[in-house]
Amino acid sequence: MTTAHPSSLLRAHRLARAFGTEPAVTGVDLRVAAGEIHALVGLNGAGKTTLMRLLLGMLQPDSGRATLHLGPDGTDVRDAPAATWRGVGHLVESPFLYAELTVTETVRAAARLRGLPAHEARQATDRVIADLALEHWARRRCRTLSLGNRQRVGLACAVVHRPSLLVLDEPTNALDPAGVLRVRRHLVEAAGRGVGVLVSSHHLDEMARIAHRITVMHRGAVIGTLPPQGADLERQFFDMVYAAEGVDPREPEPVAEVS
Amino acid sequence: MGAALEVEVLKLRRATAPRVAALAVAVGVPALGAAFMAVARADGESQMAAKVRPMLVGTGWEAYLTMIGQVLSVGVLLAVGVVVCWSFGREFTDGTFGSLFAIPTARRDIALAKATVLLGWGLGLCVATVVIAVPLGVLTGVGAPGEGMVAGVVRTLVVGGLMVVLSLPLALVASMHRGYLPGIAGLLGIVVVTQIVTVAGAGTWFPYAAPGLWAGMGGPEAAAAVGVPHLLLALPVGLGGAVATAWWWGRAEAI
Repeated sequence: MTTAHPSSLLRAHRLARAFGTEPAVTGVDLRVAAGEIHALVGLNGAGKTTLMRLLLGMLQPDSGRATLHLGPDGTDVRDAPAATWRGVGHLVESPFLYAELTVTETVRAAARLRGLPAHEARQATDRVIADLALEHWARRRCRTLSLGNRQRVGLACAVVHRPSLLVLDEPTNALDPAGVLRVRRHLVEAAGRGVGVLVSSHHLDEMARIAHRITVMHRGAVIGTLPPQGADLERQFFDMVYAAEGVDPREPEPVAEVS
Repeated sequence: MGAALEVEVLKLRRATAPRVAALAVAVGVPALGAAFMAVARADGESQMAAKVRPMLVGTGWEAYLTMIGQVLSVGVLLAVGVVVCWSFGREFTDGTFGSLFAIPTARRDIALAKATVLLGWGLGLCVATVVIAVPLGVLTGVGAPGEGMVAGVVRTLVVGGLMVVLSLPLALVASMHRGYLPGIAGLLGIVVVTQIVTVAGAGTWFPYAAPGLWAGMGGPEAAAAVGVPHLLLALPVGLGGAVATAWWWGRAEAI
């Protein structure tokens, strides 16, 4: 049992994980509050996906811990009961997608595994398919879908049970502009209902539009935050990264794309 | 575990691999068994007839159904084994294993649901094989259903059922090595080792060989040497493999 800020839904406490001798996440503290869209940005390999996996119990930390606060008491993600996980939705890397099932069957299966009774799962599936404009593909087998539509189906599976906390790893990276707008609107509406959202993205400008807080990761560590409404976020981001690397930004080293 | 069972049944019903495997067993095994019987009953002196005749146990329906049992003992292990490898290994190959974390349904229960569904499907296949084999026997001249048929049916179902159970440990191989191809490699390894152990004369105590020997694969003497304890070894091996897989699923990381 742990205590946290009253509105915290998810907390990382000095989380660390290495793969062999390669540190992936090094002592990260993080908090996601109810009604907040918390964006994670960083270069490729910064540790964002590993951090999300640690927060969801997909990986065991070498040290530190992650706690969920979806009920009266906080629980370590390693011991979280089924009732707690019912309040969580996630899309981290590969979606819940089976080639032989139709879109409707896939989303309904996700709803059932996320604790919805059969009749509620049917209603929730119809609703989320409409919300994410997937009606046209509802009866298609998932193997026939484009990459972008697969990502939308994955997102539908993550939100079908109306979770209180969403953890999404680059949920819009394969979407067309219309799909990006729809997902963005969905996240803003969810946050408006009190859902806490932790989202990573390639797009600083997209995060600036919807995030309440932007955390920058580099080489497995949190190196700072960016003001969502601030000017020239990209420059601020790279200044932060160069400072972490000890590089003079007036003589920039080649740096990989933002992710 | 109800939701996990429901989802696994849906995946099995919709996928192509289980359909092909089902067709191969339910139709292919009776057809092959009937063909072997026809070769054995013919007066010819072909190499095939010389190989098949020693495999016959008894006469009439008993001989026909034990022949079906022998073919089934290999066919079920291969067909159900491949589907077991596919069902578990695909979650890693397709990258869906990670999506089974952080949900109310425990991964341990999902693994047990897979094993339960595959067990039921495999046993159903054995029943379907017998249901097709009996009229095929009538059509191919084994005779009218009668003496020896019930005992032959029971023996065939027991042999098939034990081989279904014995295919379950392949789930652990496919899971630990995170893909269906390593599982299929394990299946081929089991077939090879079974052959070697049987030729070496130690097949009665080798769980993967005992059902086939009991069905007459090594001739009537080898069949008589197989008793209930030898056959029952399949249960701890098979069910132990399923439980070990569920335990592994509960502890594994989504790397």
